[in-house]
Parts: sequence; C-alpha cells; structure tokens
Amino acid sequence: MEARQLLKALSEAAGVSGFEHGLHPKLQEAFGPWVDDMRIDALGNFIAKKTGPGSPPRPSVMLAAHLDEIGMMVTKIDERGFLRFTRVGGVDQRILPGLEVMVHGRQALPGIIGTKPPHLLAPGEAAKAMKWEDLFIDVGLGADPAQEVVAVGDLVTFARPYTELANGLQSGKAMDDRCGVVAMLICLEWLKRMHFAADVYLVATAQEEIGGKGAIVSTYGLVPDVGLAIDVGHGDSPGVSEDHTFPLDKGPVLGVGPNIHPKVHGLLQKAAKDAGVSVGTEVLPGSSGTDAWLMQVSRDGVPTGIVSIPLRYMHTSVETLSFADVERAGKLLAFFVAAVDGPFVEGLTWS
Amino acid sequence: MKELIRELTQAFGPSGSEAPVRETIDTLIRPLVKEVRTDALGNLIAFRPGTGSGKRVMLAAHMDEIGVIVTAIDDKGFLRFSNIGGVNALALIGTRVVFAGGAAGVIGSEPVDELKDLKLEKLFIDVGASSRAAAEKQVGIGDMAAFHGPFQDLGDRVVAKAMDDRIGCAILVQALRELQDSPHHLIAVFTVQEEVGLRGARTSAYGAEPDVGIALDVTRVGDTPKSRTMEVSMGKGAAIKVKDASLICHVGLRRHLVEVAKAHQIPYQLEVLERGGTDASSIQMARSGVPAGVISIPSRYIHTPSEMVDMADVRSCVQLVVKTLEGPIDL
Repeated sequence: MEARQLLKALSEAAGVSGFEHGLHPKLQEAFGPWVDDMRIDALGNFIAKKTGPGSPPRPSVMLAAHLDEIGMMVTKIDERGFLRFTRVGGVDQRILPGLEVMVHGRQALPGIIGTKPPHLLAPGEAAKAMKWEDLFIDVGLGADPAQEVVAVGDLVTFARPYTELANGLQSGKAMDDRCGVVAMLICLEWLKRMHFAADVYLVATAQEEIGGKGAIVSTYGLVPDVGLAIDVGHGDSPGVSEDHTFPLDKGPVLGVGPNIHPKVHGLLQKAAKDAGVSVGTEVLPGSSGTDAWLMQVSRDGVPTGIVSIPLRYMHTSVETLSFADVERAGKLLAFFVAAVDGPFVEGLTWS
Repeated sequence: MKELIRELTQAFGPSGSEAPVRETIDTLIRPLVKEVRTDALGNLIAFRPGTGSGKRVMLAAHMDEIGVIVTAIDDKGFLRFSNIGGVNALALIGTRVVFAGGAAGVIGSEPVDELKDLKLEKLFIDVGASSRAAAEKQVGIGDMAAFHGPFQDLGDRVVAKAMDDRIGCAILVQALRELQDSPHHLIAVFTVQEEVGLRGARTSAYGAEPDVGIALDVTRVGDTPKSRTMEVSMGKGAAIKVKDASLICHVGLRRHLVEVAKAHQIPYQLEVLERGGTDASSIQMARSGVPAGVISIPSRYIHTPSEMVDMADVRSCVQLVVKTLEGPIDL
C-alpha cells in the first residue's frame, strides 16, 4: 500500500489503546513486502524487523511510533438506551458535545454525543464545560435493543472521514501517531535503495496514550543499541504560543532535552543535512511525553532521540498535518538508520 | 467458605507488614501445592505443576491491606499518624485500629468547622494512655495498625475489614482446594504492597515469567443510593474486568473468561472501573509483556473498616477460576 493511502486507511480505522488488533492486518499488508519478520506481542505491539546485510554482531536501531489512538469506552447503558462512557487516553470533553462517534458493539453503530439545547440551559450553565458524567451517546435505540448490540466495555471512536485540505494538508482523527507509523513505512522504502549496516526494528507501539506501555515491554524484549520515537509535535495555530509550536510543511522537529542523547541528536542533525530535509528544534525540558521517555530507561538504559511531525489540533477529531512533513520524516529516518554503524554505537558512551 | 473469609480478613497485614497474614495463608495452602516460597518483598508464591502441556498461569491476590502508621507521640500520649495506602479521613472518625502487637486505639479528631477540613493531620489515635511514657510502652514511631473490623455474617452477604483483598486470597485458596486436574503450571501468588503501588506483583511476575496473568481483586459497584455511574452490581456475578485506571485487560483473555463463564453457566458481568488499579497492571508489564486480566469481586464500602461482598458472587468467582484453570487457555 502506498504511504498516503496507508495514512488515510489508518486514520479512518479504529484502534483505541489496548484494542489495536483491528489495525494489525493493515500493517502486515503494508510492511510485509519491505521487512524480513513481523510479529504481534502480548500487549499488541506490531514489531517488524529488517535485518542488516552484514554478519553479526550488527548494531540495532529501534524505531517506535505508536499505533493506538485516544477514544472512549461504554460504562453503562441506561434505562432509556443512552450510553454512558468514560475516556481512554487524553480525550478533552470540551470537544465532545455534538460530535459524531462510532460505537464498536456487536456491530459498528453510528452515534452522536447529545447535549442540552441552549434554550433549556440554566442561567450560567452555557459558560461551563460539560462534565463527563453529564455526557451521553445516543445511538437511536431504546434500552432493550441497545443491550443486544452494545455491551459495557465496548469502544467508541470519533467518526471522522479523512479530509484533504488545500496545499497538501491532511486532516483526520488519529493522525497522532499513525503519521509516525507511515513515516516508518516511508523509511523502509528509502532503505531499499540505500546502504545500511544495522538491524532495524520498526515498532508500531500499543497503549502509548495510557502510559507508554507498549514501548516499555517492546524495548525490554528488543534491547536496541539506539532508539528513536517518532511522534507528533504541536503545529502552529491562532491562540497558541509560537515558542511551543511549529509551522506545517517546514519539516519535522528534533527534540532536545534530558530524554535525548546528545550523540543521537547529533546524528539526527547530520542525517537531516545529508537527506536535504529542513528540521526545527523542540525543547523538551522534562518528560517528552513520547515512547522515548520509557525506552530510555529500559534495562540498563537506551540512548534515545525524538523526531516529531508538526500537528495542529492534537487530540481532536480534526488533527491536521502536512503530508510532505511525513515524507520528510521518513526520509530523515532512513538517513539516520544508514548512518548507524558499529563505531557510532560504540561511541555512545559518556567518556 | 465463610470461616475461611473470617480467618483471612481478621489476620493483620498492612502493606509492608504482611507477615501475620502470610503465615496464615502459608498454613492453609501448603497441603494444596507442591512448593511454597517467599520472595525478597514478602510475596508468598506457591507452585502447582500441571498435568499436561498447558501454560504458565500466574494468579495473584494481594494480601496487604490499607492501614495507618505512627509518626509522632505527644506528651499526653496521643499518637499522630500517616496513611498506608488509600485511607480516607472521613471514614476514620470513631473507628478503632489494632497494632501488630495487639495494642488497640480509637481515632479521634481535633474540632473542625467543616468536613472538608477533616484531613489526616487533624486526627489522632488514643490508645488509652495518659502520658507519652505510657503510650510508648504499647507503641512506637513507625508501628503500623490495621482497621478493627470484625467479620459479620449478614446471610447472603458478609462484611469485614480488609475484604480488599482477602476475599481475593480466599477465592484463590478455595480454588486451590476445589481444583481437580489442570493442564496448566499454576503459580499462585499472594502479593504484598498492592495498596502502595502494585509493587509485589511487579517483582513476582518478573520472577514467575508467566504466559498468562489473572488478578483477583475487589471492584466498586454502582447499586447503592445515588452512587456514581457504574454497571456492576452486588449479586449479579463475577465481574470480568475490561479496564480500570491502571490497565486495559488483554482482549483475548477477557473474551476467554467470558466464554468460560457462559459455557459453565457462571453468572458474570463486565466491569469498567474508572478509578483504581490492580496487580494485573504490574503483571502485564513484566519483562516483554504478559497477557493479563482480572476477575473482580463486586464490593461495597471499599477502604472502610466495613467492606461488603455477596457470597453468591464469591462462589461465582471461585467457579470461574477453577473452570478457567481446568480447560485450555488459547488466546
């Protein structure tokens, strides 16, 4: 599958944290032709391996982009058939009233998150964000028929078709972080034509949005010499500080801070230059909030770096990015992988 | 089984001081398993080999309970204290606590204008001493106490302190008693320090390297007057967890537990718990990851001296554990 089509397909498919299995067949189809091995682990991580050409021992690079998306889960079906729900990951309740959703019951069921008409609000109520306990989903069914199709624990995702905006911008749900997964596929396409020495593990991690769980267990098992997280950074938009956001279509962004090994960062900068990819710099003073934060402290430690793709409206159903940035990130990853050799890995010490 | 529940709930064991409850359980399970050992954190780990080529199945129930720990003793002999685990100050007024050595005390409060001001710092323990010296004869700084919460049989339902999670321990002991042949290599772990961060399960799962992990723990219910929205009710069967604040259960394992319940007509209900965590989260994250799930016991008044469970639910949980272990576990 071509990269752009994969992003559309992944964005429109459902894969809430802990329930990524519906996406695995799509990844197997897309990554299969490019890699030597693929497997799914106990937590739902999709782990693909491209074996380096030389004889062992070969250096190993782990690329990680998370496959899961934020979403919601049914907690109760009330006596009139309305569904009560909780969130999985960082869903912002401000965006929910009036939203169309898909309820993944015995069959997929469209629903809407209902809200009180403004005519019926109490004085002052309009100024307040709705509380979780006030929100509900209407699938159009009464209690008994709803019980037949929907159960407690069923997943709910944003119903949002992928939309191409002008100027190569793409909008959809779950761009965070399916665009990183697509960047890994683009990396593989580049590597086909490049010389490289390392074993490359491409991990579409599970359960990032609920604490980086997939990264923790997959890194433990793979024991890589170097790890990169490919995730999203905040795109520029009105009302947010330019200090913490990045323009779209100006290339990916490299993180700096305690989560990033300076020599890994240095190699990323060199790779960007070699690839002819412009990059920005993102200052991450503490936790990066990415898989790299967990990868770094696996076993006796892993040198990590972070490549971010600028994304507007993060954690909404209209996450928006420039596809050219995804392509640039993929190319940058390939040039990084190609630059990882024995001497680089041996040089990742502080002495 | 009520006698077993009485014995287990009344044993002493705040997180980190589980020795008394561990000895109680050790005595109960030794005839039922091949080998028992205690690890560095104090987890009690029992092994029972399978009769076939099944999986390594880790079952975990935590034996620690919440409690209090003495931080200071004043001139008049009153004790100040901190919490071990999730202790709610509002649930403490007028309750009694018991120390490992047998000393007992009543929890009193300084006057407060509003209930919201009632924090642990306002509370003290009165052990009946009239001076610091008299108090120090009974207790010292760092001593832990558990709630005084006797076992009471209400008929269909029972109530006691520490039902969280001695009821899980009781179900695990009873399952070991009732289990005939299992193809699986069973690792039954009575974990420590669950209430302070799911810590015993973390080391024991690392050591056990299971293929599958199942925790047995209590969950909340939504069937008391004006309770928060929750589908689980008392008396409607074993709760099979989908999610809590600490983990999303392995989908295949959850579905398998549902299938076992259906196949054996065991009453069950699906559980989504918005707060709270379980040992299954630590098991799931061990090494390269373990498929993990939870069989929960619906409970009222969790983290008070009067935690209540329904005996029919307890029976359903025992059956679900036994039937799960007797058959193949293909995820």
